Amino acid sequence: MSGGDSGNVQLQEVLPKQGQVYQEDMPTVVLCKPKLMPLKSVTLEKMEKMQKEAMEEVKQQELKELGQDAEMFKGY
Amino acid sequence: MDPLFLAYSYFRRRKFKESADICTKLLEKNPYDQAAWTLKTRALTGQVYVDEVDVDEEGIAEMLMDDNAIANVSRPGTSLRKPGTSSQGGPSQGVRPTSQSGRPLSGFVRPGTQGGRPGTMEQAIRTPRTAHTARPVTSSSGRFVRLGTASMLSTPDGPFINLARLNFSKYAARPNLAKALFEYIFHHENDIRNALELAALATEANQYKDWWWKVQLAKCYYRLGMYRDAETQLKSAIKQQEMVDTFLHLGKVYVRLDQPLTAVETYKQGLEKFPGETTLLTGMARIYEGLTEMDNAVKLYKDVLHFDNMHVEAVACIATHHFYTDQPEVALKFYRRLLQMGVYNAELFNNLGLCCFYAQQYDMTLTCFERALSLADEATVSDVWFNLGHLALGICDHNLAYQCFRLALSNNNDHAEAYNNLGVLELKRGHVEAARAFFQAAFVIAPHMYEPHYNFAALADQLGDLQSSYVSARRAVENYPNHTDSQELLKQLRQHFSLL
Repeated sequence: MSGGDSGNVQLQEVLPKQGQVYQEDMPTVVLCKPKLMPLKSVTLEKMEKMQKEAMEEVKQQELKELGQDAEMFKGY
Repeated sequence: MDPLFLAYSYFRRRKFKESADICTKLLEKNPYDQAAWTLKTRALTGQVYVDEVDVDEEGIAEMLMDDNAIANVSRPGTSLRKPGTSSQGGPSQGVRPTSQSGRPLSGFVRPGTQGGRPGTMEQAIRTPRTAHTARPVTSSSGRFVRLGTASMLSTPDGPFINLARLNFSKYAARPNLAKALFEYIFHHENDIRNALELAALATEANQYKDWWWKVQLAKCYYRLGMYRDAETQLKSAIKQQEMVDTFLHLGKVYVRLDQPLTAVETYKQGLEKFPGETTLLTGMARIYEGLTEMDNAVKLYKDVLHFDNMHVEAVACIATHHFYTDQPEVALKFYRRLLQMGVYNAELFNNLGLCCFYAQQYDMTLTCFERALSLADEATVSDVWFNLGHLALGICDHNLAYQCFRLALSNNNDHAEAYNNLGVLELKRGHVEAARAFFQAAFVIAPHMYEPHYNFAALADQLGDLQSSYVSARRAVENYPNHTDSQELLKQLRQHFSLL
């Protein structure tokens, strides 16, 4: 340290004459927030299960009917 | 063993199919066997029975052509139509995602709360685009009817009871048969008109003195959309005999009439008679949640836990509230409690994983998500991947995040949040056009979110497409009026336009 005269040092601001100082302006964007998943109520689960089973059963029956048709058309 | 005894035993053990089969055989031998007949109706009802209080599905037609509401422009905090108008502000949208109805995401789904009320016809019709939240056109074409027809199809020799040929007045006078028959018609056949006829005749046969029949009448009126008639019946039933169920139904009627505060009053009345009844408390909490008065809702849920500390809905809602009010470690405690109670599904593990991550318990995070992925079905797996993407963003692994969001999309092509976040990642990589496309895709799928609108506006502003930027920024402000960045952008654009 060079004694007490350091307080008198004048700092000069430097502005470059050549080349521009610039900053790339990126738009600030927002992310969607993390999503806690809601738990399902028992009623809802039961309804979904019932619906699924019903759909499954209908599908099976339709397949069966189709199967009969397929038998019918076998000879042709 | 006596076959009837065996059938009863099966019925008590909830093996309804076996019970019904035995009854069918008995009835083949003796078609006039009343015991077997009643048991069979009860067994068939039991197969499809769901608690009527919990079932509430509102179709597009009911919602938009609804002339039951008293005021079209209601005072703040008195209507369920426009959430967020209450004096007590809900959680900020910047923190807690909202559902399509503009309400903060709930910690628990029940039938009927999945969609919420869209405000306009346009929005309502656009809803079913995403297959997961498809809404029936009217409630009578929804789940109910599908279940009814399915039950008809599955019996090769037609329905068990031919309703058209029943002499209702004969049955109505016989209480031992009438109640089982009513439940069969209501739950299994879903023939509300005939159920209503039977209930009306039975009420008359009991000289208007049986509260049970009045509640059943009200249930029918409710399903048929005659809410004022339902209200009258329920009130008369309460006068005769106060029952929890009746209060719950009355509350439901008021909710449908868009009078949440009256519904709360009803529940309070019920609570005076049945102090600490958790179903009534939960009903109140749900209404406050619907009004986005989260503090009241959470207080009530805590009351529920005071009386029943295994109440899944209360625990889940409190946990969600804590997570989104910046206390993930408290939320973690609640979710852990659910795990201890035996809830074991993808949703819970996903939530546990998120809580662990944000509570800085990194050792458990990935294990939880692995479990969640292994338990998830096609409807939930995309959300798990989406949250995993957030985890990857948190550890600055952008490639992993990108892949996670991609996987979320490959499982559910309509995952708007994933589109938005992919857009942000693309923008970070400098792929402006791709980012633009992603934001656009996101806001087309989910116009209720503010993020893609704002992002699109910011990007368009940057690219010099000021008109689109203005339109999008305005939409963002519409969706989230307190979003400062959108407001700033809009102000800037307005200034710019006025200079031109």
